[in-house]
Amino acid sequence: MEVIRNFPDSELVANIRSGQRMEDTIKAIYRGHFEGLCWYVMNNSGSRQDAEDIFQEVLVSFIELVQQDKFRGESTVKTFLYSLNRYTWLNELKKRGRALAREEKYEKGQVHIEMDAGHTIANREGKAEVLRVVAELGDTCKKILLLFYYENLSMKEILDQTDYESEQVVRNKKYKCLKQLEQMVNANPALRETLKNLIHG
Amino acid sequence: MDETLVRLLDGELSPEERMTVEQQLAGNALLRQQYDSLLATKAAIRHFGLQQQVGQLHGLMMKEFNAPVKKSSPVRKMIRYTTAIAAGILLLVAVFFAYQYFSLTPEKVFSANYQAYELNTSRGTTTSSPIEEAFRQKKYEQVIQLRDAGTVPDIKNDFLAGASALELNKLPQAQQFFTAVIEQNKTANTTILKDEAEFYLALTQIRQKEYAAAVLVLEKIQNDAGHTYYAKVKNGLLNDVRKLSER
Repeated sequence: MEVIRNFPDSELVANIRSGQRMEDTIKAIYRGHFEGLCWYVMNNSGSRQDAEDIFQEVLVSFIELVQQDKFRGESTVKTFLYSLNRYTWLNELKKRGRALAREEKYEKGQVHIEMDAGHTIANREGKAEVLRVVAELGDTCKKILLLFYYENLSMKEILDQTDYESEQVVRNKKYKCLKQLEQMVNANPALRETLKNLIHG
Repeated sequence: MDETLVRLLDGELSPEERMTVEQQLAGNALLRQQYDSLLATKAAIRHFGLQQQVGQLHGLMMKEFNAPVKKSSPVRKMIRYTTAIAAGILLLVAVFFAYQYFSLTPEKVFSANYQAYELNTSRGTTTSSPIEEAFRQKKYEQVIQLRDAGTVPDIKNDFLAGASALELNKLPQAQQFFTAVIEQNKTANTTILKDEAEFYLALTQIRQKEYAAAVLVLEKIQNDAGHTYYAKVKNGLLNDVRKLSER
């Protein structure tokens, strides 16, 4: 049986920065903040589906901002997430052409965080394009690149999870896959711009 | 150079190699552009991986949040509460008995049942033996000396000597005197101070932690409804000694 526990903010942030225990950390954020963030979207003209989509976006943005050291701990994780949620949802409403000032029920006087990483958060279409391009890679390439660059596995560990005969073969394959994806990225200037913002904010 | 940039991206260069490449990057815009391109590619993979992981966990978490909560029927609820209350009471009783069991000591049992023997004083009676007089005055050492000085065995004197020895905490001696009282009564087919001797003998044995012997004496008392100490033994003393003997 899974042991459910809450993480203090410091532990959440440390896990995200190090990339350790990401699954438990993401689950803890869901358990701690999903309902509250959903409530805000649903009370400001959003559907349940909108709320779930926005939450996922907010969560990804939050993790990326922490990994870029843009969350400096000046507010609590909760306050930061609520501000991200509000920012992301209001942007979405703007795109949908709603009269925000009239519809927003967000409490006045609530702590407001200056989003110095607006690009990282708001570029919804650009992020969707990133996903689309990576998804176009072959399954093997995706697997090797994800194991190496997302899960931070060593060549030896990747070898154990694939059918290649040696680490060198895996290394060569990874190199080819990386160059293939690089070409796809470079062929799309808008995508380059999105990724630049993802790296530098 | 391209492979070197990938090794830099992957953190596989030695500190010296890294420093060299970083210097080259600082002075070469084209090279910097190539490296930025690799960084962007890596960022794309990481973003994809994160999005994928969050998407998978989202599904799991929605299942967890939407898991139906089993509702109990009122009867079931009542049974559950009743069982909980009964279990609570049972637990309290168990704790009470456990406390009783583990806090029981020979000293406690002795103190709860011991009462110093007192001689009857009959109005108008003036003829008290020296040994009785000494006992009344609580001169217990003197009682034992007078008893030992006597040439003819006397049941009453032996009993008073036993009671005195018990007061002085001379347990083996007390046991010896009480046993003598019982034996003499048996021989003479009398019952002078017999009940008292048996009861005080049992108390002496409890104090000496000779529980098995004490149980034998107390069982004998419990089987005799006419015994002076029948009620006292039946109302818990025997049980307490049995508990002590089990530990």
